This record gives sequence, C-alpha cells and structure tokens, in this order.
Amino acid sequence: MTATVLGWLRYNLFSKPFDAALSLVVIPLLTWAVYGLAHWILAEAHWEIIGGSLKVLMTGLYPVDQLWRAWFAVATLCAMFGAGLGLSLRPGRAALTVVASAGTLMSAVAASVTDMTSGMLVAASAGLGVAAWIGVHHSALGQRIVLPGLLVGVAAIFVVLSPPGFEAWGGLLLSVILTITVSILTIPFGILLALGRQSRITSLRVISTVYIEVIRSVPLILVVYWVWIIVPLLAPDTSVPSLLRGMAGFALFFAAYVAEYVRSGLQAVPKGQIEAARSLAMSSWAVNVDIVLPQALRVVVPSLVGQILDIFNGATLVFIIGLTDFLRVGQMILADPQNSGRTYEIYVFLFAVYFAIGGAITYASRRLEAHLARGSR
Amino acid sequence: MTTQIARWHHIPPTRRRFRVASRWLLQAAIVAVAAGLVAWLGFAVREALARKGIQFSFDYLGKVANFSLSEGLVPSHDGNWPVLEPFSPSHNNLQALLAGLWNTLKVAVSAIALCTVFGTLVGVGRLSTNWLVRNLCFGLVEGVRNTPLLIQIVFWYFAVVLHFPPANAASNWLGGLLVSRAGVFLPGLAISESAGLATWALLAVALASAAASLLLRGTRLRLSLLAIAACALIATAAIGFPLDFDLPIATRFGARGGFAVSPEMTALLLAIVVNSSAYVAEIVRGAIESLPKGQWEASASLGLSRAHTLRDIVLPQVFRIVLPSLANRYISLTKDTSLGIAIGFPDLFNVYGTVSNQTGRNLEGVVIVMLTYLALSWIISACMNAINARVNGPGGSR
Repeated sequence: MTATVLGWLRYNLFSKPFDAALSLVVIPLLTWAVYGLAHWILAEAHWEIIGGSLKVLMTGLYPVDQLWRAWFAVATLCAMFGAGLGLSLRPGRAALTVVASAGTLMSAVAASVTDMTSGMLVAASAGLGVAAWIGVHHSALGQRIVLPGLLVGVAAIFVVLSPPGFEAWGGLLLSVILTITVSILTIPFGILLALGRQSRITSLRVISTVYIEVIRSVPLILVVYWVWIIVPLLAPDTSVPSLLRGMAGFALFFAAYVAEYVRSGLQAVPKGQIEAARSLAMSSWAVNVDIVLPQALRVVVPSLVGQILDIFNGATLVFIIGLTDFLRVGQMILADPQNSGRTYEIYVFLFAVYFAIGGAITYASRRLEAHLARGSR
Repeated sequence: MTTQIARWHHIPPTRRRFRVASRWLLQAAIVAVAAGLVAWLGFAVREALARKGIQFSFDYLGKVANFSLSEGLVPSHDGNWPVLEPFSPSHNNLQALLAGLWNTLKVAVSAIALCTVFGTLVGVGRLSTNWLVRNLCFGLVEGVRNTPLLIQIVFWYFAVVLHFPPANAASNWLGGLLVSRAGVFLPGLAISESAGLATWALLAVALASAAASLLLRGTRLRLSLLAIAACALIATAAIGFPLDFDLPIATRFGARGGFAVSPEMTALLLAIVVNSSAYVAEIVRGAIESLPKGQWEASASLGLSRAHTLRDIVLPQVFRIVLPSLANRYISLTKDTSLGIAIGFPDLFNVYGTVSNQTGRNLEGVVIVMLTYLALSWIISACMNAINARVNGPGGSR
C-alpha cells in the first residue's frame, strides 16, 4: 500500500526536478487554502442565512400563498429534464444512483432548512423526473412525444405561473424558465437564418448575413436593453411585461449564434447528397427538410446544448431591465444592512448552484458529442 | 452541376424567361419586405417619439453633459496641442461618450494583453506532467467557464476589492504596489520639471536606436545601434534623467502618487482577465494537443528537454493555429467589458445609459453605441487577420 502511494507520488508529483519544485510550492499553498476554506465553511460561516432566504432565492418575490404554482413549475421542469435525459442517456445503475442520491440530498436539504412539506415536494419532483427518464427511454411512443411534450410543458408553466403577474417572477425559477424558453425560441429562428445565409437567393443571403454579423458584434446587454426600450414604442397601447421583452431580446441575440452553429452543420452534409436529392426531382423545401436538416441538426446538437449554458449564464444580465433573477436576488439580500456580513455565504451558495447547473449542462454536451462521434465512426 | 445546365437548356425559351422573371420577382419581394419592415420600425418609433415631442436628431451630442464620471479622459486641445484631459460636467455629451469609449478601451486592451499571457500559462499547465498543477488548472478552467461572468464581476468587486484594507492603511506589496479599497496604485513615471531640451533629445535618440536595433536585421548594425542607445542613455543619466519613478505612498488621507487604478476598474479587469484566461487556456490546450505527437517524440529523441521543446518547437506553431480563435475571444472580451455597468464602471454602455437618461435620447445613442462596438469588432478581426496573413501567409515560414 505504502509502496503504491509512494510510487504514485513519485510518478505524478516528483518525476522531474522542475515538477518537484512546482509541487513544493503548490502543496503548501493548496493545503493552506483548502484548510482555510474548510474551516470557514464548517466553523465560521453562518449558513442560516441561506435557509432563511431560500424561498426568495428560488422564486424571488412570488406571493407565498401562490407558491403551489411554483411547485407545479418545479415538477414540470423535472419531468421535462427527465424526458430529455431519456433521449440521450441510458438509465443504467450508475446514472440512476447519481440522480437518486442528488435528489435525496436536495430533498433532505430542503426538509432541514425549510419544512417537511418542501422536502417531500422536492423528492416527489425528482421521482417524477426519474419516472419520465425511464418511461421515455423504454417506450417508442414516449420518445416520439418528447419534443411536443417539452413545448406543452413550457406552455403549461407559463399558464400556471402567470396569474400573479410576470413582475412577481424571480429567483432561480426565473433564470431557468428564461433559459428554457429562449433555447426553444432560438432554434427555429436560427435555422431559418442559417438557411437564409446559405440560400441561392442573393437578397435573402445578404440580409441574413448582415443580421448575423451585426448581432454577433454587439454585446448581449445592449440588445436586451434596446429591445426592452423599443417594444413600448412599437406597441404604445399595450403594456408588454419586461420579462417577455427580455425573452425577445435574448432570442433575437442568440438566434444569430444558433444560425452559425447550424450553418457549420449544414456545411458538414456532403454536397453529393443534395445533388442526389435534386436529381430525384425533390423540391428545395423537401431537400432541406427531409435530407439536409435532419443530418445537420444531428451534428450540432452538442453545440446547441452548450449554448444553453451561454443563455443560462447570460440570464444574469436581466438586471438591466429590472428583473430579479437568481444573482440579483442574492444581491438584494445582501443590500439589507442586517445581512451585510454574510457576503461570502451568499456568493458561495450562488457560485455552487450556478456551477452545479453549468457543470451538468457541460457534461451533457460532452456526452452527446462523444455519443455522436461514436455513432458516425 | 452539369445536369442542371443541361436541364436549363432543354427548357423552352418562354418558360426560361418566366423562370428568370419569377426569380427576380422573388428577390424584389424579399427586398421589399425587408425594407418595409425596417421602414415600419423606423416610422413607428418616430411616431412614438413625436408623440412625446422628441425629434430624431444628433444635436444633443453638442450639449453640455452636466454629469460627472468617476474616471475617463476626453480628447481636447490645449492651445494648438491636442491633449487628453479628465472628463468634467462642463464637457458635452459626445465627449462623455468618448470618455466611456476610452474606459472601455483601457480595460479591453489591458485585459487582452494579460489574458493572453495567463491563458497560455494555464493552457500549458493543463498539460503539465505534474498531477497537481494539471488538475488545479483544469479546476480553474471548469469553474470559470461554468459560472456566469456577471457573478464573477460582482464577486470580485463586492467580495474582494471592497474588502481590501482602507486607503489610509493600504497594504504595500513588493515595495511599490499599494492595494486598498480605494483602488490599486502602481508605480508610475513622473516627468521632472528641471529637464531641458537636450536631455529629452538624448532620451529620444536612445529610444529610437533601441527600437531600430530590434527592427533591423544584421548583427553588426544591431550592435552599433545598441552601443549608441547605451551611450545616449548614460549621457542622459549624467546630465539629469528627465523621468523619475513615482512610487505611491500611503498617507493618513489616502494613497498619493503613482498610477492609480480605480476599484471598479480593478475588479472588472480581474474578473475579465481570469474569465478570458480560462477560455484562452482551452484554445491553447486544444492547439497543443492538435500538434502531431511525433514532434514531441522527435525533439525528445534529439535530447531536447520538455520545457525546451515547448518553448522552441510547440508554442511557435501553436501561436499560428490559435490566431483565429484568439481573435474571437478578444472580440467577446471587448463586448464583455459592457458588464462593468453592474459595478458602476463608466464604460461606453454605462455612459450611454447615463446620457440617454439625461436627454431621453435612447435611439440615437443605440445607433452610436452599436456602430462603435461593430467598429471595435472589425478592428480586432482586421488586426488579427493581418497578423495571421503575416505568419501563415505565403511569405510566412510555414
């Protein structure tokens, strides 16, 4: 045993003089940092603040007596996530164990920091997600209805959550719903732009190219702010909620990026296939819809999943139009003078949640990439 | 393609003309729809503004700004000489936007330089033979890339920079660097007033010959130029050097002297440099891994050390591969500086927001800001394309 450990150390940390020197510098620094962090997390940090403001962090200022609507959204999101997982990941023992333990951990945390009901609801939502995962994976019918099911799910969330008013939406729930809605909206728009950029019709090509290049050169925050300003000018008689204006801005911005991903996918389809389809007298529409797009989209799925992370990270920018997303809620809690000493607790929690979600999206994107690479070999 | 041309010739002329006409009609229809959409947008916005009594015009740019910015220089003139002076409320709105652009450029240029260096180090670190270094770099890259940039910026500002010691107790690092919550103070260069024309001329000669020796090839010429530079420098020092190191000093009333960097800029720069370094590291790592393994093996068999191989064989080639990806990263980085508004850094977007709040002229401002960001993106890609053409083009060594 000792020999193995020593061998490992020697091979990985002290194999050359330079590596040994590096190790001698890094190990003490790292030990000091890890010890300090662990001591702070376990002994000094006041984690009650997270438990006390968990409701605000998750749903913002959503009315407390209407919280069942938010729980409905959580359950629907879990089912949608599970269904999406069913398309790409086999519910093997290892994967199920990871998901089940994550669900148990989260429900335990929810039960201990708030109340028993929340814990039960988290557990039920996680169970629904796992059921959707297994159900979709094992039934052909399930796989066919996943995509329409996702749209129905988003629509249902909007219908159920909207009665208290869009202004009441906030917290992590707002960030997640915004991300999902925008991801869905950008795909058709992005495909159209990509096809336009490849079109044989010059005017269409020029317009699409200019749109894509201009949007890609300006910051997201500018586009979101601009759309937010301009919508009331275009529709002076109706008041469009900030949330919907924000979503429109995000969709207009990210569509240009989706278009570029799709274009790379379109270019990956061999030219011979298009020529072959044309020689079979298929119309341009049929060539695009039946031959080119299915293959092109298959190639770009990992990039599109990766883009969901960009949208989720970009969702923090909605502070500019006065929405209270996850990060903004955290800052609002810290703005309360009572909590001024809890800066690090709040930020560590925000970082941890963002990293958990972001890491999961990155992992999914990489898995899909590997999966597709294996399939095409 | 040939089948299409053959088919085209088999179509009777009348139908061929019809097809050409219909294609033109389609083009015209698309252009008309697009133009109509833009015109409707413009018209609706004008109507809406007219109802509020606002005309679309750029006159407001010449009006006095009447607000102040925490930092930012504007071009002005001192007699006949163009100079940069700090922005003040008596300047006009255009100068306010220029001050914002100055701040954007200040952060973007420093961040581009710093993130290239740190990113390359971290990218190389990700391939280190030392397990600890490799995984630390991996953790840094993943942690940065999987969390939003905005939370990193507000974290650096509210949780790090604002928790530095107060200005009157600023901590002194490495002798010349003062760190406090009122900002970071770097040693600067100060011009001593006693310096005459002769010392400046000598210094100019020294700098010019040193620069020429770097640019010109040929060993003998280089040596003589360097000798001239050294002599001129010694002569300057002998009759009184015109530049002095200006070390910042912490006093009871805050830090004084040196080159001051505001706390907002410090936080924004830290956040953007750390964030972009992670992306640059991934670009560099991908490029190193894309090089054939045989190159490492060949240089190892020639007896070159790993560090030597990296420096002289791998990195020069990597530099060529990464240029297009780096250009994209630099453009994203420049756009990212607009997030400075979250911590009150007066960049272009932030100043635009202030100006529009003061004057109610959002749309004119949007046009200006959009065109400026477009121009910045184009300038960066033009520069990178020029470098790319130089190192990868027909005259390059590849």
